[in-house]
Amino acid sequence: MESTSVKQIIDECKKKTRIQYTNKGGFFSPKLKSINHLEVGYSKIISNPLTIFLERLYVVYKNLRNWFNSVKERWFPRNPEIVGTVKDAYLTGVISFKEKSDVRTPIVHMKVVFWARTKLFQWRKLAEGYTDHEGVFNLPFDLRAAVKWANRKNLIFEVEEIDSIYFDKNKVGHHNYSVFHKQTFPKSDLIGMGYNLREIQLDYWNYRTDTIIPRTLLKFDNGDTIQSYTQGRKDALIEQIIPIELTKLKHLLLIKEDSDKISHASIQADYPINLTQCIEKELPGYTRGDEWFGERMMNGMNCGAFMQDPENPDVYMIKYFGLCNYDHNHEFALPDVTIYFNFNNKGIPIPFKIKTVGALNAINKDQWQQREFTPADGEMLWLAVKRLARSVGNVCTEVDEHFVGTHLNVEQYAIATFRNFKHSPLSILLMPHMREVSLINEGADKLIIKGFLPEGTALNAKGLVKRAKDLLGMFDWKSWRPMKSISEDHRYAQAENIFFEVVENYVNTFFEQNLKGIISHWDEVYRFSQDLVNHSVPVFLSDVDLDALPTNERNQALERLAYYKFQYGFDETVTREKRNNQLKVVSPITHKTSISAEDTEDINNLKRACKYAIMQATFMHTWINEHQYDDLGEVLYSCGGLRFGDKESGVLVPESDLSIAPNLTVTTQQLWFANFLSRTEYGFITKNEDGDVNPIFTELLESKRADFDKIGVSIDDIESRTNI
Amino acid sequence: MSEFYPAHKNKLVAIFDKIILWHTAKFFGFLIAAFLSFPKRNRMSHDNGIAGLGNLKIVDNPEFPEHDFFKAGRTFPIRVRHATATYLDDAVNGIRSISLKFSQHHFKSPFDIEMNTGATTLFWSAKSFLMFAKTRKEKYAVCYVDYIKKYPQGATGAIGAMRRNPSSFTNLKYYGKTPFLFKGTDGIQRYAKYRVVPEKEQLETGLQLNPCDYELPNQRVAPHEKNGRNYLKYEWEDRVKKGHAKYKLQIQLVTASHDEDPEIFNNMFPWDERIYPWMDVADFEITETLDWKESTISTFSVNNMPESLGIIPAKSIYDYNSLNYMRAHSEIARKARLLSLKIFGMVPPIPNNDNRNNEEWGK
Repeated sequence: MESTSVKQIIDECKKKTRIQYTNKGGFFSPKLKSINHLEVGYSKIISNPLTIFLERLYVVYKNLRNWFNSVKERWFPRNPEIVGTVKDAYLTGVISFKEKSDVRTPIVHMKVVFWARTKLFQWRKLAEGYTDHEGVFNLPFDLRAAVKWANRKNLIFEVEEIDSIYFDKNKVGHHNYSVFHKQTFPKSDLIGMGYNLREIQLDYWNYRTDTIIPRTLLKFDNGDTIQSYTQGRKDALIEQIIPIELTKLKHLLLIKEDSDKISHASIQADYPINLTQCIEKELPGYTRGDEWFGERMMNGMNCGAFMQDPENPDVYMIKYFGLCNYDHNHEFALPDVTIYFNFNNKGIPIPFKIKTVGALNAINKDQWQQREFTPADGEMLWLAVKRLARSVGNVCTEVDEHFVGTHLNVEQYAIATFRNFKHSPLSILLMPHMREVSLINEGADKLIIKGFLPEGTALNAKGLVKRAKDLLGMFDWKSWRPMKSISEDHRYAQAENIFFEVVENYVNTFFEQNLKGIISHWDEVYRFSQDLVNHSVPVFLSDVDLDALPTNERNQALERLAYYKFQYGFDETVTREKRNNQLKVVSPITHKTSISAEDTEDINNLKRACKYAIMQATFMHTWINEHQYDDLGEVLYSCGGLRFGDKESGVLVPESDLSIAPNLTVTTQQLWFANFLSRTEYGFITKNEDGDVNPIFTELLESKRADFDKIGVSIDDIESRTNI
Repeated sequence: MSEFYPAHKNKLVAIFDKIILWHTAKFFGFLIAAFLSFPKRNRMSHDNGIAGLGNLKIVDNPEFPEHDFFKAGRTFPIRVRHATATYLDDAVNGIRSISLKFSQHHFKSPFDIEMNTGATTLFWSAKSFLMFAKTRKEKYAVCYVDYIKKYPQGATGAIGAMRRNPSSFTNLKYYGKTPFLFKGTDGIQRYAKYRVVPEKEQLETGLQLNPCDYELPNQRVAPHEKNGRNYLKYEWEDRVKKGHAKYKLQIQLVTASHDEDPEIFNNMFPWDERIYPWMDVADFEITETLDWKESTISTFSVNNMPESLGIIPAKSIYDYNSLNYMRAHSEIARKARLLSLKIFGMVPPIPNNDNRNNEEWGK
C-alpha cells in the first residue's frame, strides 16, 4: 500500500479514536463520589436509583450550601482595609514546619492575617503581614479596635497560603490566597503590648518521612489541608470517567458471577476503540508489522531513546531493563530487552534483532539466560518477541519515564516550590505547573503502585518503590537536554525540541521581566535549592558497592547506568553534594542566600532548573500520558505483562493463545486505566481552564502552532501541569 | 492632645473607660482586702521582708530642676523595707524590693516610693496586671507559666526583674519603673522615674545570665542550695550593724509634651539614659534594723506623696498609668491588713527551716 494512504488511514484513526465526552448526566445518571474513591477494583460508584436520588438530594444540599456560602461572602466580605488608628499592641509567634527534629525549620514569608468579627458577623481586619526569615511574625494592631465591645468574643488568626495564580489584563501574575490554618483566642487575652501565639507547627508541604523518595505529606491530624483539585478538574474527571467506570464494574461483576459470558474480546469490545484497533480494521496486520513497531517505539507512548550502536553507526538500540533483581511475582515475564533498528527511507526505525535476558517461560527461570531473535526466526516468533518487547517497554515507560520521570520527579520540584516561593516572582512562574501533582501522585500510590502494577505486571509494590528510588537517581536538571531528533520521522524529538524552545523563551522572558524581584528574594531560591538537594535520592548506584555484586548483576547495573545516562541526559561528572554520606542526585542551584545581577552562574542555574521543571511537568508528561490509550488500548496487542503460561514456549506464542495474555480482570483494569489516564480532558495550556497559565507562555506556544501541526502534534493537547 | 495617656476619641467610650477603671481599681482593692489582707494578714506579694531606720539627705547641688520638696540639703528620717516578692524564702529566684518612706513612722509619711529590681517588670497596665494575677497558678514555686508564655513582655520583665541568690540587698539596683508627676518651682510639668542604687557603684549580683524562656516561671530554690530562707535578711542586719547599708536615690525626668508618645508612660520601656540621665536626689543610710513585728507593720503607699510629685492621671485600664491608679485605690487593702494584725495578732516570723519552695507560711 502507498505510504500516503497508510498515513491518511493512521491520521483518520487518530481523529476517530480521540474521545469526546458529551454526556452531561441526567437526574438518574450514575455518579462517582470523588477522585479519591477511584479504585482499580470496585470504585465507589453509585448506580442504585434510590441511592442516586439520595445522592441528588445531597447535591441539592451541596448547591444550597455553596449558595449560602456565596451569600455569606457577599454579605460578610473580608474587608481588606485594616481597622484602627494606633498600633499599640502586637501579635507575635513563630511558624515552622512540623517535624520531629529538635530545631524545626521555619516557614518563611508565610502570609498571616489577624481578624475580628463583629457581633453582626462582619469581618474586621486588624493586621496582616508575613513571617520573617526565622518564621517569626509580628503584627502590630490597634488594641482598642481588637477588644472593642462590638467584636465577638474570639479573635481569629489565620495563616494563608498561595492557592493559585491569576493574570491581569496586563499579563501580570498575582496570587490568590486561601486559608491554610486558622486558630482563635479570646479577645480578653489581649492586655496590650505583645501577645504570643508561640510556635505554630504546620504540616505545610512537609516531606513524608516514611520513604526516601521526596514525597508530600498530605494527611494531617489537625484538619489542615494543602491544595485541592480545582472544581473544574474534579467535574471534568468525574464526567469523563463515568462511562468507562461503569464498563469496568460490569466486567468485574460478570467475572465474579458468570465468567463464561465474558471474554477478552467482549471486554475489548466494551471499551472505546483505540488507535491500533482502528488501523487494524483498515490495514489488517499493519500494527503488528515492523514499521508500526518502530514508529510507535519512536513516536508513541514509549518515545524511546535510540542509542547509536558504538560498533555500527547505522544501527540504533533501545534498551528496556526488566526485573533487575527488584522484588517481583512469578506470573509475568519481564526480561531485559534490547531492540536493534535500522532506519528505512521514510526515517522510520525498523527492528531487525531483539535480544532478551531473562526467563521467557515458567520452566526455565534462569534470570541471566540470553536469547536473540530476528525476523529469520519466522513470522510467528518474530511477532511474539515484538509483542514481548512492547510489553516490557510498556512497564519501563510507565514506571521509569512516566511515573518516576514526570510524576515523582516533578513532585520534588513542587514541594520545594510550594514550601519556599512566597515573595519571589518564581511563584508566578512555577506554581501553575507544579499544582496538583502531589495530589495525583498520592492517588497513584494506591491506584498504580499498590493497585494495577502489582496485579498486571511482574513487579510488586516493594520492587516498584525500590525501582522508583533507583530511577529517580538519574533525574537532574543540570545536564538535561531535549532528545536529539535522529530522523525526519522522529516527530517526538522534534516536538520536544520545539516545545523546549518555547519554554526557554518563556522562562528567559519571565526572568528579563522579573529579575529584580527574583534577585531581591534570592533567599527563597537558596532554600528551594537546599530543599531539592537535601531531599533528593542518591545518584543511581552511588550507594551500591558494585564490586560486591555478582558479575551478572554488576554488568547489568553498569549497562543500566550507561543507558540511563544517555536516556535521561544525566552527567555523572557534574559536581554533586553529599548529605548524610549520600551523593544527592539533584544539583544545587545556588549556595548563596543573596546575589547581584552579576552572579550569572547562579541565575543561569535557576533558569535551567525552572525550564527543566516546567518541561517535565508539561510536555514530557503529556506525551506519555496522552498516548497511553493509543498503545495500551488493545490488550492483545500490548499489555503490562505477558504471563508465562505453562508451556515450554512460554510467552513466545501467538496472540491467539490467551493463556499468556493478562487474565480477564487485569484486561478490563488495563483498558480502564489506559482510558482513565489518557483521556482526562482538563488542564491544557491553550484552554487555560483555571486561568493560571501565563499569557506570554500561551502566546509563545501559539506562535509555534504551525510547526507543531507540521509534525502532527496539536498544541491544544499539551497539558499545563502533571495532573493525572 | 492630652499631655497624658490619650483618652479614647469617642467621648462616650472615654467616659465608659474611666468608669471601668475606677470600678476595677476599687473592686480589686476590695477583693485583696476581703480575701487576703484581712483574713490572712498578708500583703499582696512582698510579705518576706525586713525594715530598718536611717537618715536621708537631699544632695547639696541637685542637677534636677528645683523642687520645694526635694530642697538641696534637706534631711529626712526614713524607714526602709527590703523584701523578696511572693515567696517566704530568700533563696528563690525572685524579685527583690526596697520601699522607702520619708519618715520613721510605719504608716504616715510625706513621701513613699516602692521599687523592685530590674528596669522593667512583668506588667504595664491595670489590664495586664489583672491578667498577671488571673493567670497565676503557683505550684511549688513555679508560677506564671501561662502568663510568660502568652506575653513576651512578661518574659522580658521576668528576666530583667528576678534575681537568683544575690549576695546582698545592698548591691542591687531598684527601679520605680512607673513614672510620676514632677512639677518643680518653675511650674513646668515633668514626669519622673526613681531608682535606688548602692552608694558606690558595684557589681549587681543575682542577674539572670542566659535565661531560658520556658524556665522563667520556675522560681524554685536551686538544687543543693546552701542559702537559707532568711539569708538576705540576716546579711542585711549584719551589714547595717557595720554601717555598710548606704544608698542613693536617683531621678530621671522627661518634660511633658502635648504630642507625647504614650509609650513614654510605658514602664516596659526604660527611658534612654543618654537623653534622660539619672540624677542624684538624695543619699541615705540605714543605721538600725527593725524587728519582725515592725517590719511587718511597715506599709508604703503611692498616696504618700506631695501633689506635685503624685501619680499621673489614668484614662482606662489599658492606660500605662493605670498601674499607679490601682495602687492608689488599694489603700483599703493596706488598712485592712494592719487592722487584722491588730485584731488577730502578728503573723509568725519566717522560720529558718527546710520548708523550701513552698508558698505557704510554713511551720
